[in-house]
Formats: sequence, structure tokens, C-alpha cells
Amino acid sequence: MAEPERIAAIVAEVMAQLRRTGSVTLPQNAQPREEGDCDDITSPACRKISLLDHPQDPEALERMRGRTTARIGVGRAGPRLKTRTMLTLRADHAQARDAVFADVNSALPEKLGMFTVETRCGDKNTYLTRPDLGRRLSDKAVETLRQRCTPTPDVQIFASDGLSSTAIEANLEKILPALTDGLKAKGLTVGTPFFLRFGRVAAEDHVAEILGAKVVCVLIGERPGLATAESMSAYIVYNSYVGIPESKRTVVSNIHKDGISAVEAGAYLTEVICKILEQKASGVDLVK
Amino acid sequence: MTQGVISAFFIFLIFSERKAVMYCMAEILSVGIDIGTSTTQVIFSRIAMENTAAYFAVPHVSIVDKRIVYKSAVHITPLLTPVLIDGEGVRDIVAAEFEKAGFTPADTDTGAVIITGESARKENAATVLEKLSGFAGEFVVSTAGPDLESVIAGKGSGAWKYSVDHACVTVNLDIGGGTTNIAVFSRGDVTAKGCYDIGGRLIRISPEGRIQSVSPAAAAAAKAAGVSLIPGDRADMQTLSAVTDKMAELLAEAMGLLPPSPLLHQVKTPGSTDFIPPDKPARICFSGGVADCIREDLTGDPFRFGDVGPLLGRSIREGLLYRTIPAMEAGETIRATVVGAGTYTTTLSGSTIAYDAALFPLKNVPVLKLTAAEEEAAFRGGEKVLSDRMAWFAQQSGSARMLLSLRGRRDPTYGEVKTLAACLARAADLALPPGEPLLIGLREDMAKALGAAIAPLLRGRPLVSIDSVQMEDGDYVDLGRPLMNGLVIPVVVKTLLFG
Repeated sequence: MAEPERIAAIVAEVMAQLRRTGSVTLPQNAQPREEGDCDDITSPACRKISLLDHPQDPEALERMRGRTTARIGVGRAGPRLKTRTMLTLRADHAQARDAVFADVNSALPEKLGMFTVETRCGDKNTYLTRPDLGRRLSDKAVETLRQRCTPTPDVQIFASDGLSSTAIEANLEKILPALTDGLKAKGLTVGTPFFLRFGRVAAEDHVAEILGAKVVCVLIGERPGLATAESMSAYIVYNSYVGIPESKRTVVSNIHKDGISAVEAGAYLTEVICKILEQKASGVDLVK
Repeated sequence: MTQGVISAFFIFLIFSERKAVMYCMAEILSVGIDIGTSTTQVIFSRIAMENTAAYFAVPHVSIVDKRIVYKSAVHITPLLTPVLIDGEGVRDIVAAEFEKAGFTPADTDTGAVIITGESARKENAATVLEKLSGFAGEFVVSTAGPDLESVIAGKGSGAWKYSVDHACVTVNLDIGGGTTNIAVFSRGDVTAKGCYDIGGRLIRISPEGRIQSVSPAAAAAAKAAGVSLIPGDRADMQTLSAVTDKMAELLAEAMGLLPPSPLLHQVKTPGSTDFIPPDKPARICFSGGVADCIREDLTGDPFRFGDVGPLLGRSIREGLLYRTIPAMEAGETIRATVVGAGTYTTTLSGSTIAYDAALFPLKNVPVLKLTAAEEEAAFRGGEKVLSDRMAWFAQQSGSARMLLSLRGRRDPTYGEVKTLAACLARAADLALPPGEPLLIGLREDMAKALGAAIAPLLRGRPLVSIDSVQMEDGDYVDLGRPLMNGLVIPVVVKTLLFG
């Protein structure tokens, strides 16, 4: 046997032995790496790897880690986080920032039959620094709504990027038809849906005034955290006007694949909206 | 949600707390009645439920507390003959206990009447249960079956909870008069169960100290021990100890501490699954009447109960089983099964579900669990596979009433839900007679969406679509009236019934 082949055979044998004895765990069919190749530390496979050295009960640790998205059992280097934890945190933070700064792909509202309008912000930086402008629709948007939306519907639904475009991209397609179909099946008139760029929650009050809708429901991206950037909320308000107290809003939060799934949330929101119309009240006035 | 909104709403949360308590808690009264080989018992417990979800989230109702409010005395199960239970006698016992506890059958919301061990094999077991079902309120189930008993006893004894609290594997041996029910819990999951005809009352001793009767399983054990037991003979400690030693040995075999003998297979309770012993249980828990005899030293008259329970207890204490696996303190011993029946049989459905309220309560609905392939076909819209299976199932069970059990999908698309809904509606049209409700139980949280999508397609056929429930083929379910303002329905999954 030629020298390199013998070495390869020995290495294979040693690795096989180590694997059998459990001294090392290697990924299945690990390929030799190209230079510059590296793992995606935000991938589910990488997140699964425990960084704690010598856990007393590895199985219990794994189970606990499986129950939370919090970074537990990550070990430490001296008094600090390990490099890998640090890098994952930064990567997650980067994802959260991306969710805020990215724009919703314009193909998505189009696909769902929604047109797009904007608030008075004009750009992302203004949106982030001027919440007040994010609560009012631009003059052009007001005009567009008057032209294109059916006035005085029972329920007006619209979507807005809010603080996470990622959340809208992950959930909107699942929740919107479920919610719309559900409401129509209850015999309610549902207004023309649209997408609002640079929107804050209270923009729904302006929308209510423009269209004279009894109930307005905005599906909006939640401010992303380090656990998920895909979380969406629905803020529903009855008979709204600009300046309505926040307590009049009914909120259903945590709509994402690890919270309540978007389709199921659509069915639940249908029921909530029906209750709001029955009781003519939303927010803390609503008896759930 | 933005930070500002959270703090803004936090204030309202405080103000609305009283309202929240008013609307978000409910308590139900559950009764447990166990008619065992040697004893009959009744307990009452209160089960409290609460919406535990955050104010801004979709509701999630869960059971938050279980409190036993009354435990009956331990009565000897009255028999007319060795093969007939005294139904009237049992009825009287239960009636008296209701009165003592201060409840009427109308007060109970849920619970279980179960007939266990050898009692389940008596000729009139089904009739006895029927006599009792009126006692136990509208939504009380009657269950039987060695496997279910094992799980119920293990939950009642505390073995299940120990496995959850200590994140370990526990095994519960409920050693009663006629059978030993074994269940293995791994961090709360049932990983193995089984039942053997080993118990303290397999050999009965008359007050005069003579052997009164010997069950077939006890006779087999005696034969293996090389002794003979003849009814009428004087009860001899040494001879009987040899038999109970053999029984204890069989339990050690069952737990995998000794190689299994052919005799072990012979004493397996008919209808129970093959018990697979766990690798390394952290704790063993003994419940059932014999458990008390394991803990105590053998003092006084060994035949004071008219059986060999105390002897069997001693044999186990001195045997391999007790010495090898560390034992845990049981929360309940002789009452484990009745406590389990009264407090652990009722579960709750998910909190986002769809149903026609007029249907409830539904009792003894057989479960048709779809295989992965059938479910896949249903998700693709192929109703033929489904309707064929439903029609076949209806023919087998002799009734068109069935609950379709599906796994469902996590975070499905709306298209997937609609396709599945259309498929289920068509299959219902093909396989179910007009007016027969379509009942669906899912594991994943998607029942409300699925229900909303199916309802318009059913043209008046009633519908129940619930989730967060796990049911297997061969199970039966009871669905109670909606609770908590209609958010959830109580569900009892059981393995019935009498052949």
C-alpha cells in the first residue's frame, strides 16, 4: 500500500474507533473542507451543538435546551461568553437589524392582490427616528385609498412592515386569505386589502378615518428580538379615530411558526373580530 | 410589539386583573371509581383550569391544579360467586360514598369508573359498569383494559410525576389482588406497559386457615415452585412462601433482571401488550394493596386479609427486584388506581378549536388513526383512500361514528389547510351517512383553521375539529361539554371495552 493510502486507512480506523467509544462526535459523512468554508452558526444544526464542557447530565441539558430559545448551557471562557456564543449573538442581532432595515419584497403584496402605499416617512431612517410620521398616511396614500378601496366596510385589513419586514414575508401569505375567507364566511364585508410601507400601529386609526371602517386590523411586523425576527402581531380596533387611547386596541401577538401558526391565528382572529363587532368594543372594553 | 406599547398595556393589565380572574378560571369535579379484584374505592377531586397565556397572546387553557377532596374507605369488592360480581353490592357502596362525600351524581363533571384486574374478567363486568354509569354523572367514562390500568396506576402512585420532576426513568408496579400492572415512564412519557396475573389474592385463605381457592396463574407458579396447593388443605406458611417467592421471581424476570422463563409468558394477562423492561430505571415504585405489605415487616397473622398478599409483599422485599432497583416512596399505594382514574384521565383540547356545541357530550367514539401515508394522501387531496378506510372502519366497528385522528402539520400554508379540508369534506360525504358528524382530532395546533375551512363545505353536517390531542388506533374518546367560555373541551382518551 502506498504511504498516503496507508495513512488514510489508519486515520479512518482511528476515527471509527473513537466514534465507537463515543470519544468524539463527528458529523455524518463529514467532507474535507475547502479553505474558507465555514459553518452557518445560525443554522438549526449549529444551534443544537452544546457548548458546555463536561455536563453532568448531557441528556437533561439537551432537553432543557430543547424547551427554550434562550441561550442556556452555553458554557463560558473565564468570566465571558465563548467566542462561538458571542458570534451567534452578533449574527442573530444582525438578522434582527436586517428584519428592521430590509424592505418587504414588492412581489408579495402584488401576489396577494394588494397595492402599496406609504406613510409620511419617505425612508427607513425617517421611519425609525420619527414615529409620529409613521402613524399618518401620506397625502398620496390618502388619495389612493379613497380611489381604490371599498368605503365603509365592516372590516378593513391591511398589512404593514412595522419593525420587521421578515415577519410579513414569513406570515402574510398564510394569514391573510385565512382571515379574509373566515370573515366573508361570517357574512361580513371585508375592505380592499393593501400594504403600508413604513407603518406604525396607530396608522390604523388614520385608515379607519379615511375609509369609515367599523373595524380595522393591521397585520404588522413586531420589533425583532434575538430569538426570532419572524414574529407578527395583529392590532384590531373598533370605531377608531386619530388619537384613540392605546387601551382600545385588541392585540394578538406572537404569530410565527414557533408561536401560534399564521393560519391558525387567522381562524382565531376571525372569531375575535366577530366578537368585537358583536360587542361594539375592542381593547380592554372587550369581554373575551 | 414595541416596548412603549408593552409598558402602556402593563397598566391596563393590572386594572383588568380582577376581570381576568373572573373569566379565566374554571373548576370541575371529577369522580374516580375503581372496582378491583379485591377492593372497591371512590375518590372525588377538583380539577382547576386557567388560561395561562399572556394577555396579548392566543388563549391557552391548561389544567393548573388537581386536588383530592374526598377519599372513600377501601371496601372489599363484593362477589356473588367467584365469577360474578355483586352488582347491587357495588352500587350500594358507591351510593353510600357519594352520600358521605356530600355529592350527588349531578355534581360531577367528569371522571372514570374503571373495572380492573380480575374483576374485568368476571362474566357480568359490563353489566356492573352499566349499573354504575348513571352514578357518575353525564360525562363519566367507564374504562377497562390492562394497559390503561397500568398507566393510570402509575400516574396515581406518583411514579409519573417523579419521572417528570427528576427527569428520569421510573417504573411503577401496581400489585393488586389479581394482577400486577407495570408502566414505565421516561420523563413523563409512557415508554412501556404491561400486565401479569400476579397478585396477592390469587390464593384465598379461609378464616379457618385453609386454602379456599387457587387461581390458574397461582397454580402454575406453585407447580414451578415444586409444591402443590389443594383447596381445603391447611394453609402452610412454607409452602405458600415458596409460591409467593416464585411470583416475586417472575416480577424480577418481567423487569429483565432474570432471563424470562416460559412461565412468565404464561401468566401474562390476556389483552395486555408485551412488556419491554427499561434499560436502567432510576427508581421503582410499588403501588396497589401489596405495596403496603412490602414496606411493613411481616407481623401478626399473615393471612389476616384472607389471602397471600402479606406473604407476597415479604417475598418481593427479600427478592432481587427490591434489592436491585432503588425504590421511591409512593404517594398513593392501595389507592393509586382510583386516584389515577379520578384525576388523570381528563385532559383538555387545544384552545383554538372548532365545533358544533350541540353535539356534546359524545361518548365512546372509536378512533380511526390515519397512517402517515394516508395522511399524506389526504393532504394532497386524495379522498378515495380516506373514504375507503372510513367505510371499512364503520363496517368493522358496526357504527358510522368515528373520530379521525391526524398528526397535522406545524405552521401549514393556507393552501394545505384548504386542500385537506376539501378532502375531508368529500370523504365524509362518501363514507358517512347524512347528518353523521365529522369528528377530527389533530396533534398539531391547526384545528380552528381546518374547522373554519371545512365548515362551509359540509352543507349542514355537524363538525368537531380539536387539536393538541394524541390518540391511537383502537382508542375510544369521550368529549365533554365546552368549558371556559367555550375555549376548550375536556377529552378522555381510553382503551375500552369489553369484547
